[in-house]
Amino acid sequence: MIYLATVVILAFLPIFVKSPYTYHILILTFVYITATSSLRTLAISGQVSMGHAAFMSIGAYTSAVLARYVGWSPWLTMPLGALATMLVAVLVGFPFSRVRTIYFSMVSLFFGIGILSINSIFGKYTGHINGMIGIPPLFIGSRIPYYFFFLALMVVCLIVLWRFETCRIGVCLKAIDQSREVAASIGISETKFRVLAMGVSCFVVGLVGAGYAHYNMVISYSSFNLSASINMLVYMLIGGIVSFAGPIIGTAVLFMIPEIFRQLKEYTPFLFAGILILVVFVMPQGVVGLFDQIRSLVNKKE
Amino acid sequence: MEIIVEIIINAILLSSMYVLAASGFALVLSIMGVLNFAHGAIYMVGGYACYQLAIEYGLNPWLSLFLAAGIMALFGLFLERFCFRPFYGDFFSSVIISIALIFILQTSINLTVGVHVRSLPAFVSGMFKVGGVSVSMERLFTAVIGVSLLFALTLFIRKSKTGQQMLAVAQNSEGAALQGIRIHRVAAIAMALGCALAAVAGSLMGAVFDLNTFMGDLILVKAIQVVILSGIGSIGGVLIGGLIIGTLDSVLPLYTTPAITQTIGLTIIIVLLLIRPQGLFGREMD
Repeated sequence: MIYLATVVILAFLPIFVKSPYTYHILILTFVYITATSSLRTLAISGQVSMGHAAFMSIGAYTSAVLARYVGWSPWLTMPLGALATMLVAVLVGFPFSRVRTIYFSMVSLFFGIGILSINSIFGKYTGHINGMIGIPPLFIGSRIPYYFFFLALMVVCLIVLWRFETCRIGVCLKAIDQSREVAASIGISETKFRVLAMGVSCFVVGLVGAGYAHYNMVISYSSFNLSASINMLVYMLIGGIVSFAGPIIGTAVLFMIPEIFRQLKEYTPFLFAGILILVVFVMPQGVVGLFDQIRSLVNKKE
Repeated sequence: MEIIVEIIINAILLSSMYVLAASGFALVLSIMGVLNFAHGAIYMVGGYACYQLAIEYGLNPWLSLFLAAGIMALFGLFLERFCFRPFYGDFFSSVIISIALIFILQTSINLTVGVHVRSLPAFVSGMFKVGGVSVSMERLFTAVIGVSLLFALTLFIRKSKTGQQMLAVAQNSEGAALQGIRIHRVAAIAMALGCALAAVAGSLMGAVFDLNTFMGDLILVKAIQVVILSGIGSIGGVLIGGLIIGTLDSVLPLYTTPAITQTIGLTIIIVLLLIRPQGLFGREMD
Protein backbone atom coordinates (compact mmCIF):
# COMPACT_ATOMS: atom_id res chain seq x y z
CA MET A 1 0.00 0.00 0.00
CA ILE A 2 2.70 2.45 1.06
CA TYR A 3 4.68 1.63 -2.07
CA LEU A 4 1.67 2.25 -4.29
CA ALA A 5 0.90 5.55 -2.57
CA THR A 6 4.52 6.70 -2.94
CA VAL A 7 4.57 5.85 -6.63
CA VAL A 8 1.27 7.68 -7.21
CA ILE A 9 2.51 10.77 -5.37
CA LEU A 10 5.75 10.70 -7.37
CA ALA A 11 3.81 10.29 -10.61
CA PHE A 12 1.74 13.41 -9.95
CA LEU A 13 4.67 15.44 -8.68
CA PRO A 14 5.37 17.26 -12.00
CA ILE A 15 2.08 19.16 -11.56
CA PHE A 16 3.46 20.92 -8.49
CA VAL A 17 7.22 21.01 -8.85
CA LYS A 18 8.87 23.01 -11.62
CA SER A 19 12.52 23.31 -10.60
CA PRO A 20 14.81 21.28 -12.92
CA TYR A 21 17.30 20.84 -10.09
CA THR A 22 14.73 18.94 -8.03
CA TYR A 23 14.17 16.61 -10.97
CA HIS A 24 17.89 16.05 -11.32
CA ILE A 25 18.15 15.00 -7.69
CA LEU A 26 15.04 12.81 -7.91
CA ILE A 27 16.30 11.09 -11.07
CA LEU A 28 19.65 10.37 -9.42
CA THR A 29 17.78 9.05 -6.39
CA PHE A 30 15.79 6.70 -8.63
CA VAL A 31 18.96 5.50 -10.34
CA TYR A 32 20.68 4.77 -7.06
CA ILE A 33 17.60 3.20 -5.45
CA THR A 34 17.49 0.72 -8.33
CA ALA A 35 21.22 0.07 -8.20
CA THR A 36 21.30 -0.35 -4.43
CA SER A 37 18.31 -2.68 -4.46
CA SER A 38 20.10 -4.85 -6.99
CA LEU A 39 23.06 -4.92 -4.61
CA ARG A 40 20.74 -6.40 -1.98
CA THR A 41 19.81 -9.22 -4.34
CA LEU A 42 23.40 -10.40 -4.01
CA ALA A 43 23.52 -9.64 -0.30
CA ILE A 44 20.65 -11.98 0.59
CA SER A 45 22.93 -14.92 -0.15
CA GLY A 46 25.64 -13.38 2.01
CA GLN A 47 27.76 -11.95 -0.79
CA VAL A 48 28.29 -8.26 -0.22
CA SER A 49 29.69 -6.74 -3.38
CA MET A 50 32.08 -3.82 -3.06
CA GLY A 51 32.45 -3.32 -6.78
CA HIS A 52 28.89 -2.97 -7.91
CA ALA A 53 29.47 0.42 -9.48
CA ALA A 54 31.88 -1.30 -11.88
CA PHE A 55 29.04 -3.45 -13.20
CA MET A 56 27.06 -0.24 -13.59
CA SER A 57 29.96 1.14 -15.62
CA ILE A 58 29.96 -1.90 -17.93
CA GLY A 59 26.34 -1.21 -18.82
CA ALA A 60 26.93 2.51 -19.13
CA TYR A 61 30.04 2.29 -21.30
CA THR A 62 28.73 -0.51 -23.52
CA SER A 63 25.57 1.39 -24.26
CA ALA A 64 27.39 4.70 -24.66
CA VAL A 65 30.05 3.31 -27.02
CA LEU A 66 27.46 1.51 -29.18
CA ALA A 67 25.27 4.59 -29.41
CA ARG A 68 28.08 7.06 -29.95
CA TYR A 69 30.41 5.22 -32.32
CA VAL A 70 28.15 2.68 -34.02
CA GLY A 71 25.21 5.04 -34.12
CA TRP A 72 22.47 2.75 -32.88
CA SER A 73 19.45 4.14 -31.10
CA PRO A 74 19.85 4.50 -27.31
CA TRP A 75 16.62 2.51 -26.91
CA LEU A 76 18.37 -0.47 -28.51
CA THR A 77 21.77 -0.03 -26.86
CA MET A 78 20.43 0.21 -23.32
CA PRO A 79 19.14 -3.38 -23.20
CA LEU A 80 22.33 -4.44 -24.99
CA GLY A 81 24.37 -2.75 -22.27
CA ALA A 82 22.35 -4.57 -19.63
CA LEU A 83 22.86 -7.88 -21.47
CA ALA A 84 26.60 -7.26 -21.71
CA THR A 85 26.71 -6.58 -17.98
CA MET A 86 24.80 -9.77 -17.31
CA LEU A 87 27.13 -11.74 -19.57
CA VAL A 88 30.22 -10.46 -17.74
CA ALA A 89 28.52 -11.08 -14.40
CA VAL A 90 27.65 -14.66 -15.28
CA LEU A 91 31.17 -15.30 -16.60
CA VAL A 92 32.83 -14.02 -13.45
CA GLY A 93 29.99 -15.39 -11.33
CA PHE A 94 31.13 -18.99 -11.77
CA PRO A 95 34.57 -18.49 -10.23
CA PHE A 96 33.36 -15.78 -7.82
CA SER A 97 30.75 -18.06 -6.29
CA ARG A 98 33.61 -20.02 -4.73
CA VAL A 99 34.82 -17.16 -2.57
CA ARG A 100 32.67 -16.24 0.40
CA THR A 101 31.98 -13.49 2.92
CA ILE A 102 34.79 -10.98 3.26
CA TYR A 103 36.80 -12.61 0.46
CA PHE A 104 33.94 -12.09 -1.96
CA SER A 105 33.75 -8.45 -0.92
CA MET A 106 37.47 -8.11 -1.57
CA VAL A 107 37.42 -9.96 -4.91
CA SER A 108 34.55 -7.78 -6.09
CA LEU A 109 36.41 -4.70 -4.87
CA PHE A 110 39.49 -5.67 -6.90
CA PHE A 111 37.28 -6.56 -9.84
CA GLY A 112 35.75 -3.10 -9.62
CA ILE A 113 39.12 -1.37 -9.67
CA GLY A 114 40.31 -3.73 -12.41
CA ILE A 115 37.33 -2.90 -14.63
CA LEU A 116 38.15 0.78 -14.32
CA SER A 117 41.79 0.16 -15.25
CA ILE A 118 40.72 -1.89 -18.26
CA ASN A 119 38.44 0.97 -19.10
CA SER A 120 41.29 3.43 -19.05
CA ILE A 121 43.41 1.14 -21.27
CA PHE A 122 40.76 1.81 -23.94
CA GLY A 123 40.99 5.50 -23.13
CA LYS A 124 40.81 6.42 -26.81
CA TYR A 125 37.14 5.48 -26.84
CA THR A 126 36.19 6.08 -23.24
CA GLY A 127 37.72 9.52 -23.10
CA HIS A 128 40.51 8.93 -20.54
CA ILE A 129 40.14 10.65 -17.20
CA ASN A 130 38.00 13.50 -18.51
CA GLY A 131 35.14 11.20 -19.32
CA MET A 132 33.23 10.32 -22.42
CA ILE A 133 31.21 13.11 -23.98
CA GLY A 134 28.62 13.36 -26.71
CA ILE A 135 26.51 10.38 -25.71
CA PRO A 136 23.17 10.53 -27.55
CA PRO A 137 20.31 11.48 -25.22
CA LEU A 138 17.11 9.48 -24.79
CA PHE A 139 14.82 12.49 -24.94
CA ILE A 140 15.45 15.96 -26.28
CA GLY A 141 14.70 18.91 -24.06
CA SER A 142 13.29 18.93 -20.58
CA ARG A 143 13.89 16.57 -17.70
CA ILE A 144 10.22 15.60 -17.23
CA PRO A 145 10.27 12.64 -19.69
CA TYR A 146 13.47 11.41 -18.04
CA TYR A 147 11.77 11.71 -14.69
CA PHE A 148 8.90 9.46 -15.78
CA PHE A 149 11.25 7.10 -17.58
CA PHE A 150 13.44 6.55 -14.52
CA LEU A 151 10.42 6.33 -12.22
CA ALA A 152 8.96 3.60 -14.45
CA LEU A 153 12.33 1.87 -14.74
CA MET A 154 12.74 1.91 -10.97
CA VAL A 155 9.25 0.53 -10.35
CA VAL A 156 9.66 -2.25 -12.91
CA CYS A 157 13.13 -3.20 -11.63
CA LEU A 158 11.97 -3.18 -8.03
CA ILE A 159 9.02 -5.43 -8.86
CA VAL A 160 11.34 -7.83 -10.68
CA LEU A 161 13.80 -7.87 -7.79
CA TRP A 162 10.95 -8.30 -5.28
CA ARG A 163 9.56 -11.24 -7.25
CA PHE A 164 13.04 -12.71 -7.54
CA GLU A 165 13.57 -12.45 -3.81
CA THR A 166 10.23 -13.88 -2.75
CA CYS A 167 10.07 -16.75 -5.24
CA ARG A 168 11.74 -20.10 -4.72
CA ILE A 169 15.14 -18.84 -5.93
CA GLY A 170 15.24 -16.12 -3.30
CA VAL A 171 14.35 -18.59 -0.56
CA CYS A 172 17.14 -20.88 -1.76
CA LEU A 173 19.59 -17.96 -1.67
CA LYS A 174 18.61 -17.18 1.91
CA ALA A 175 19.08 -20.85 2.78
CA ILE A 176 22.59 -20.74 1.29
CA ASP A 177 23.34 -17.68 3.40
CA GLN A 178 22.24 -19.37 6.62
CA SER A 179 24.11 -22.62 6.09
CA ARG A 180 25.56 -23.67 2.81
CA GLU A 181 26.20 -27.24 4.05
CA VAL A 182 22.54 -27.76 4.94
CA ALA A 183 21.46 -26.10 1.70
CA ALA A 184 23.76 -28.38 -0.27
CA SER A 185 22.43 -31.44 1.57
CA ILE A 186 18.87 -30.74 0.39
CA GLY A 187 19.98 -30.28 -3.18
CA ILE A 188 20.43 -26.54 -3.50
CA SER A 189 23.38 -25.91 -5.80
CA GLU A 190 25.35 -22.99 -4.40
CA THR A 191 27.10 -22.14 -7.67
CA LYS A 192 23.93 -22.25 -9.75
CA PHE A 193 21.92 -19.94 -7.51
CA ARG A 194 24.76 -17.53 -6.88
CA VAL A 195 25.40 -17.17 -10.62
CA LEU A 196 21.68 -16.66 -11.15
CA ALA A 197 21.54 -13.95 -8.48
CA MET A 198 24.64 -12.34 -9.96
CA GLY A 199 23.10 -12.33 -13.44
CA VAL A 200 19.78 -10.80 -12.36
CA SER A 201 21.40 -8.25 -10.06
CA CYS A 202 23.90 -7.13 -12.69
CA PHE A 203 21.30 -7.01 -15.46
CA VAL A 204 19.36 -4.49 -13.40
CA VAL A 205 22.39 -2.45 -12.44
CA GLY A 206 23.68 -2.50 -16.04
CA LEU A 207 20.32 -1.32 -17.35
CA VAL A 208 20.12 1.54 -14.92
CA GLY A 209 23.76 2.40 -15.57
CA ALA A 210 23.06 2.58 -19.31
CA GLY A 211 20.05 4.78 -18.61
CA TYR A 212 22.20 7.03 -16.47
CA ALA A 213 24.75 7.37 -19.30
CA HIS A 214 22.06 8.53 -21.74
CA TYR A 215 20.56 10.86 -19.18
CA ASN A 216 23.79 12.52 -18.10
CA MET A 217 25.30 12.42 -21.63
CA VAL A 218 28.75 12.54 -19.99
CA ILE A 219 30.20 9.62 -18.09
CA SER A 220 33.55 9.42 -16.38
CA TYR A 221 35.37 7.00 -14.12
CA SER A 222 34.56 9.03 -11.04
CA SER A 223 30.91 7.98 -11.29
CA PHE A 224 31.86 4.32 -11.01
CA ASN A 225 34.98 4.21 -8.84
CA LEU A 226 35.56 2.59 -5.48
CA SER A 227 33.82 5.33 -3.55
CA ALA A 228 30.72 4.98 -5.76
CA SER A 229 30.60 1.27 -4.91
CA ILE A 230 31.16 2.00 -1.24
CA ASN A 231 28.42 4.65 -1.32
CA MET A 232 25.98 2.09 -2.65
CA LEU A 233 27.00 -0.29 0.12
CA VAL A 234 26.50 2.46 2.69
CA TYR A 235 23.03 3.30 1.34
CA MET A 236 22.07 -0.34 1.71
CA LEU A 237 23.55 -0.76 5.19
CA ILE A 238 22.06 2.49 6.49
CA GLY A 239 18.62 1.56 5.23
CA GLY A 240 18.89 -1.91 6.67
CA ILE A 241 20.14 -5.03 4.97
CA VAL A 242 17.43 -7.28 6.42
CA SER A 243 14.48 -5.76 4.59
CA PHE A 244 13.63 -5.12 0.95
CA ALA A 245 12.67 -1.55 1.84
CA GLY A 246 16.12 -0.99 3.39
CA PRO A 247 18.06 0.10 0.28
CA ILE A 248 15.13 2.24 -0.87
CA ILE A 249 14.80 4.12 2.41
CA GLY A 250 18.56 4.32 2.93
CA THR A 251 19.19 5.81 -0.52
CA ALA A 252 16.28 8.24 -0.19
CA VAL A 253 17.42 9.42 3.25
CA LEU A 254 21.08 9.82 2.35
CA PHE A 255 20.24 11.58 -0.94
CA MET A 256 17.70 13.97 0.56
CA ILE A 257 19.48 15.05 3.73
CA PRO A 258 22.49 16.71 2.04
CA GLU A 259 20.02 18.53 -0.24
CA ILE A 260 17.99 19.83 2.71
CA PHE A 261 21.12 21.10 4.44
CA ARG A 262 22.70 22.51 1.30
CA GLN A 263 23.86 25.73 2.98
CA LEU A 264 26.40 23.68 4.95
CA LYS A 265 28.52 23.44 1.76
CA GLU A 266 31.91 21.96 2.53
CA TYR A 267 30.78 20.80 5.97
CA THR A 268 28.28 18.36 4.39
CA PRO A 269 30.60 15.32 4.82
CA PHE A 270 30.49 15.93 8.58
CA LEU A 271 26.70 15.73 8.46
CA PHE A 272 26.96 12.56 6.40
CA ALA A 273 29.39 11.04 8.87
CA GLY A 274 27.19 12.11 11.76
CA ILE A 275 24.21 10.32 10.24
CA LEU A 276 26.25 7.16 9.69
CA ILE A 277 27.52 7.13 13.28
CA LEU A 278 24.06 7.89 14.65
CA VAL A 279 22.51 5.07 12.66
CA VAL A 280 25.17 2.58 13.71
CA PHE A 281 24.84 3.37 17.40
CA VAL A 282 21.07 3.97 17.64
CA MET A 283 19.63 1.72 14.94
CA PRO A 284 21.69 -1.45 14.60
CA GLN A 285 19.20 -2.83 12.05
CA GLY A 286 19.34 0.30 9.90
CA VAL A 287 16.64 2.92 9.46
CA VAL A 288 14.10 0.17 8.69
CA GLY A 289 14.79 -1.27 12.12
CA LEU A 290 13.64 2.02 13.63
CA PHE A 291 10.12 1.45 12.32
CA ASP A 292 10.06 -1.98 13.92
CA GLN A 293 11.29 -0.54 17.20
CA ILE A 294 8.55 2.12 17.16
CA ARG A 295 5.97 -0.50 16.28
CA SER A 296 6.98 -2.75 19.15
CA LEU A 297 6.93 0.26 21.53
CA VAL A 298 3.41 1.18 20.42
CA ASN A 299 2.25 -2.41 20.81
CA LYS A 300 3.71 -2.57 24.30
CA LYS A 301 1.75 0.51 25.41
CA GLU A 302 -1.48 -0.95 24.20
CA MET B 1 73.53 -1.50 -14.00
CA GLU B 2 72.13 1.79 -12.79
CA ILE B 3 68.60 0.82 -13.72
CA ILE B 4 68.86 -2.48 -11.83
CA VAL B 5 70.00 -0.75 -8.63
CA GLU B 6 67.25 1.81 -9.09
CA ILE B 7 64.64 -0.93 -9.52
CA ILE B 8 65.86 -2.83 -6.47
CA ILE B 9 65.80 0.26 -4.27
CA ASN B 10 62.39 1.28 -5.55
CA ALA B 11 61.05 -2.22 -4.99
CA ILE B 12 62.34 -2.27 -1.42
CA LEU B 13 61.02 1.24 -0.82
CA LEU B 14 57.54 0.52 -2.14
CA SER B 15 57.35 -2.92 -0.53
CA SER B 16 58.38 -1.64 2.88
CA MET B 17 55.90 1.24 2.72
CA TYR B 18 53.11 -1.11 1.64
CA VAL B 19 53.96 -3.50 4.43
CA LEU B 20 54.11 -0.70 7.00
CA ALA B 21 50.67 0.47 5.95
CA ALA B 22 49.27 -3.02 5.50
CA SER B 23 50.52 -4.48 8.78
CA GLY B 24 48.35 -2.11 10.81
CA PHE B 25 45.39 -2.96 8.63
CA ALA B 26 46.13 -6.68 9.00
CA LEU B 27 46.57 -6.43 12.78
CA VAL B 28 43.22 -4.70 13.21
CA LEU B 29 41.48 -7.06 10.82
CA SER B 30 42.80 -10.26 12.32
CA ILE B 31 42.63 -9.24 15.98
CA MET B 32 39.39 -7.27 16.05
CA GLY B 33 37.64 -8.60 12.95
CA VAL B 34 37.18 -5.00 11.86
CA LEU B 35 37.68 -4.04 8.23
CA ASN B 36 39.11 -0.60 8.82
CA PHE B 37 38.61 1.38 5.63
CA ALA B 38 39.77 4.47 7.48
CA HIS B 39 43.32 3.12 7.58
CA GLY B 40 44.19 5.01 4.42
CA ALA B 41 42.81 8.20 5.92
CA ILE B 42 44.86 7.62 9.08
CA TYR B 43 47.96 7.23 6.91
CA MET B 44 47.11 10.51 5.18
CA VAL B 45 46.49 12.35 8.46
CA GLY B 46 49.79 11.01 9.80
CA GLY B 47 51.59 12.54 6.83
CA TYR B 48 49.82 15.86 7.34
CA ALA B 49 50.53 15.84 11.07
CA CYS B 50 54.21 15.45 10.30
CA TYR B 51 53.99 18.25 7.72
CA GLN B 52 52.24 20.54 10.17
CA LEU B 53 54.81 19.91 12.90
CA ALA B 54 57.81 20.22 10.62
CA ILE B 55 56.74 23.20 8.51
CA GLU B 56 54.32 25.24 10.62
CA TYR B 57 56.00 24.71 13.99
CA GLY B 58 59.48 24.42 12.55
CA LEU B 59 60.45 21.27 14.41
CA ASN B 60 63.21 18.93 13.36
CA PRO B 61 61.80 16.57 10.68
CA TRP B 62 62.88 13.47 12.63
CA LEU B 63 61.28 14.77 15.82
CA SER B 64 58.09 15.62 13.97
CA LEU B 65 58.02 12.15 12.38
CA PHE B 66 58.28 10.68 15.86
CA LEU B 67 55.64 13.02 17.26
CA ALA B 68 53.26 12.36 14.37
CA ALA B 69 53.55 8.62 15.03
CA GLY B 70 52.82 9.27 18.72
CA ILE B 71 49.80 11.45 17.97
CA MET B 72 48.35 8.87 15.62
CA ALA B 73 48.97 6.12 18.18
CA LEU B 74 46.89 8.09 20.70
CA PHE B 75 44.27 8.59 18.04
CA GLY B 76 44.31 4.82 17.45
CA LEU B 77 43.68 4.20 21.16
CA PHE B 78 40.75 6.62 21.01
CA LEU B 79 39.35 4.91 17.91
CA GLU B 80 39.61 1.46 19.41
CA ARG B 81 37.88 2.48 22.64
CA PHE B 82 35.06 4.64 21.29
CA CYS B 83 34.50 3.58 17.69
CA PHE B 84 35.41 -0.06 17.20
CA ARG B 85 35.10 -1.70 20.62
CA PRO B 86 31.28 -1.77 20.52
CA PHE B 87 31.40 -3.56 17.17
CA TYR B 88 33.95 -6.38 17.47
CA GLY B 89 33.37 -8.87 14.70
CA ASP B 90 30.37 -6.93 13.46
CA PHE B 91 31.46 -6.53 9.86
CA PHE B 92 28.81 -4.09 8.60
CA SER B 93 28.76 -1.74 11.57
CA SER B 94 32.52 -1.42 11.57
CA VAL B 95 32.52 -0.76 7.83
CA ILE B 96 30.03 2.07 8.29
CA ILE B 97 32.00 3.52 11.21
CA SER B 98 35.23 3.45 9.23
CA ILE B 99 33.57 5.12 6.23
CA ALA B 100 32.22 7.82 8.53
CA LEU B 101 35.79 8.25 9.81
CA ILE B 102 37.08 8.70 6.25
CA PHE B 103 34.57 11.51 5.69
CA ILE B 104 35.51 13.20 8.97
CA LEU B 105 39.27 12.93 8.53
CA GLN B 106 39.38 13.94 4.85
CA THR B 107 37.04 16.88 5.33
CA SER B 108 38.91 18.05 8.42
CA ILE B 109 42.20 18.08 6.55
CA ASN B 110 40.60 19.78 3.54
CA LEU B 111 39.18 22.50 5.77
CA THR B 112 42.24 23.08 7.93
CA VAL B 113 45.28 22.54 5.71
CA GLY B 114 43.56 23.03 2.37
CA VAL B 115 43.14 20.95 -0.74
CA HIS B 116 46.46 21.90 -2.34
CA VAL B 117 49.20 19.36 -2.75
CA ARG B 118 51.87 19.75 -0.06
CA SER B 119 55.34 18.38 0.10
CA LEU B 120 57.31 17.43 3.16
CA PRO B 121 60.99 18.43 3.29
CA ALA B 122 63.37 15.63 2.50
CA PHE B 123 64.58 13.88 5.63
CA VAL B 124 67.95 13.29 4.00
CA SER B 125 69.12 15.10 0.91
CA GLY B 126 71.78 14.55 -1.70
CA MET B 127 72.89 11.72 -3.89
CA PHE B 128 74.91 8.71 -3.03
CA LYS B 129 77.49 7.26 -5.40
CA VAL B 130 78.66 3.68 -5.41
CA GLY B 131 80.85 2.50 -8.26
CA GLY B 132 79.42 4.92 -10.81
CA VAL B 133 75.85 4.28 -9.76
CA SER B 134 74.15 7.30 -8.23
CA VAL B 135 71.25 6.72 -5.90
CA SER B 136 68.96 9.21 -4.22
CA MET B 137 69.88 9.26 -0.54
CA GLU B 138 66.31 9.98 0.40
CA ARG B 139 64.93 6.90 -1.26
CA LEU B 140 67.69 4.76 0.15
CA PHE B 141 67.13 6.07 3.67
CA THR B 142 63.37 5.66 3.42
CA ALA B 143 63.87 2.08 2.30
CA VAL B 144 66.32 1.47 5.17
CA ILE B 145 63.95 2.97 7.73
CA GLY B 146 61.07 0.96 6.35
CA VAL B 147 63.00 -2.30 6.44
CA SER B 148 64.36 -1.71 9.95
CA LEU B 149 60.89 -0.85 11.25
CA LEU B 150 59.61 -4.06 9.73
CA PHE B 151 62.36 -6.02 11.48
CA ALA B 152 61.46 -4.31 14.75
CA LEU B 153 57.79 -5.14 14.21
CA THR B 154 58.52 -8.77 13.39
CA LEU B 155 60.78 -9.05 16.41
CA PHE B 156 58.10 -7.45 18.60
CA ILE B 157 55.44 -9.85 17.41
CA ARG B 158 57.63 -12.96 17.55
CA LYS B 159 59.53 -12.33 20.77
CA SER B 160 57.61 -10.04 23.11
CA LYS B 161 54.79 -11.23 25.33
CA THR B 162 52.33 -8.72 23.89
CA GLY B 163 53.23 -9.78 20.38
CA GLN B 164 52.60 -13.42 21.24
CA GLN B 165 49.27 -12.41 22.76
CA MET B 166 48.41 -10.64 19.51
CA LEU B 167 49.13 -13.79 17.54
CA ALA B 168 47.01 -15.79 19.94
CA VAL B 169 44.07 -13.41 19.65
CA ALA B 170 44.42 -13.37 15.87
CA GLN B 171 44.26 -17.16 15.79
CA ASN B 172 41.32 -17.57 18.14
CA SER B 173 40.07 -14.70 20.26
CA GLU B 174 37.80 -16.80 22.49
CA GLY B 175 40.52 -19.29 23.22
CA ALA B 176 42.91 -16.45 23.96
CA ALA B 177 40.41 -14.87 26.36
CA LEU B 178 40.09 -18.21 28.16
CA GLN B 179 43.87 -18.23 28.65
CA GLY B 180 43.60 -14.94 30.50
CA ILE B 181 44.69 -12.65 27.70
CA ARG B 182 42.94 -9.29 27.92
CA ILE B 183 41.58 -9.01 24.40
CA HIS B 184 40.64 -5.35 24.60
CA ARG B 185 44.10 -4.38 25.81
CA VAL B 186 45.75 -6.37 22.99
CA ALA B 187 43.37 -4.84 20.46
CA ALA B 188 44.10 -1.33 21.74
CA ILE B 189 47.84 -1.91 21.45
CA ALA B 190 47.41 -3.35 17.94
CA MET B 191 45.31 -0.39 16.85
CA ALA B 192 47.79 2.13 18.30
CA LEU B 193 50.70 0.30 16.68
CA GLY B 194 48.91 0.11 13.35
CA CYS B 195 48.07 3.82 13.37
CA ALA B 196 51.63 4.77 14.37
CA LEU B 197 53.09 2.65 11.55
CA ALA B 198 50.62 4.14 9.10
CA ALA B 199 51.64 7.63 10.22
CA VAL B 200 55.33 6.81 9.71
CA ALA B 201 54.58 5.39 6.25
CA GLY B 202 52.49 8.46 5.43
CA SER B 203 55.21 10.87 6.48
CA LEU B 204 57.95 9.01 4.64
CA MET B 205 55.88 8.70 1.48
CA GLY B 206 54.91 12.36 1.85
CA ALA B 207 58.59 13.26 1.72
CA VAL B 208 59.47 11.01 -1.22
CA PHE B 209 56.32 11.86 -3.19
CA ASP B 210 53.65 14.45 -2.29
CA LEU B 211 50.98 14.90 0.32
CA ASN B 212 47.40 15.19 -0.82
CA THR B 213 44.11 14.36 0.81
CA PHE B 214 43.45 11.42 -1.51
CA MET B 215 46.77 9.66 -1.01
CA GLY B 216 45.05 7.41 1.52
CA ASP B 217 42.74 5.85 -1.06
CA LEU B 218 45.61 4.47 -3.09
CA ILE B 219 47.48 3.03 -0.13
CA LEU B 220 44.23 1.60 1.25
CA VAL B 221 43.72 -0.40 -1.94
CA LYS B 222 47.35 -1.53 -1.80
CA ALA B 223 47.03 -2.49 1.87
CA ILE B 224 43.89 -4.50 1.15
CA GLN B 225 45.66 -6.18 -1.78
CA VAL B 226 48.61 -7.12 0.41
CA VAL B 227 46.44 -8.40 3.25
CA ILE B 228 44.13 -10.40 1.00
CA LEU B 229 47.05 -11.82 -0.99
CA SER B 230 48.78 -12.99 2.17
CA GLY B 231 45.56 -14.12 3.82
CA ILE B 232 43.55 -12.77 6.71
CA GLY B 233 44.85 -13.85 10.10
CA SER B 234 48.43 -14.28 8.98
CA ILE B 235 50.52 -11.38 10.22
CA GLY B 236 53.85 -12.79 9.06
CA GLY B 237 52.48 -13.35 5.56
CA VAL B 238 52.00 -9.61 5.13
CA LEU B 239 55.77 -9.27 4.65
CA ILE B 240 55.77 -11.63 1.68
CA GLY B 241 52.53 -10.23 0.27
CA GLY B 242 53.93 -6.70 0.50
CA LEU B 243 57.16 -7.76 -1.18
CA ILE B 244 55.23 -9.31 -4.11
CA ILE B 245 52.94 -6.32 -4.63
CA GLY B 246 55.73 -3.78 -4.13
CA THR B 247 58.01 -5.54 -6.62
CA LEU B 248 55.21 -5.78 -9.18
CA ASP B 249 54.44 -2.09 -8.73
CA SER B 250 58.03 -1.03 -9.18
CA VAL B 251 58.99 -3.31 -12.08
CA LEU B 252 55.89 -3.33 -14.29
CA PRO B 253 55.54 0.45 -14.82
CA LEU B 254 58.90 0.39 -16.64
CA TYR B 255 57.39 -1.71 -19.39
CA THR B 256 53.72 -0.75 -19.54
CA THR B 257 51.28 1.97 -18.60
CA PRO B 258 50.01 2.39 -15.01
CA ALA B 259 46.55 1.16 -16.03
CA ILE B 260 47.91 -2.13 -17.37
CA THR B 261 50.13 -2.50 -14.28
CA GLN B 262 47.11 -2.20 -12.06
CA THR B 263 45.10 -4.61 -14.17
CA ILE B 264 47.88 -7.21 -14.07
CA GLY B 265 48.30 -6.88 -10.30
CA LEU B 266 44.59 -7.20 -9.65
CA THR B 267 44.23 -10.12 -12.06
CA ILE B 268 47.01 -11.99 -10.27
CA ILE B 269 45.26 -11.53 -6.92
CA ILE B 270 41.82 -12.46 -8.23
CA VAL B 271 43.18 -15.60 -9.89
CA LEU B 272 45.08 -16.53 -6.75
CA LEU B 273 41.98 -16.05 -4.61
CA LEU B 274 39.98 -18.25 -6.95
CA ILE B 275 42.56 -21.02 -6.67
CA ARG B 276 43.16 -20.50 -2.96
CA PRO B 277 40.15 -18.65 -1.50
CA GLN B 278 41.84 -17.97 1.84
CA GLY B 279 44.94 -16.27 0.45
CA LEU B 280 48.54 -17.49 0.53
CA PHE B 281 48.87 -18.06 4.29
CA GLY B 282 45.38 -17.37 5.60
CA ARG B 283 42.54 -19.27 7.13
CA GLU B 284 38.90 -19.40 6.10
CA MET B 285 36.74 -16.76 7.75
CA ASP B 286 33.03 -17.09 8.49
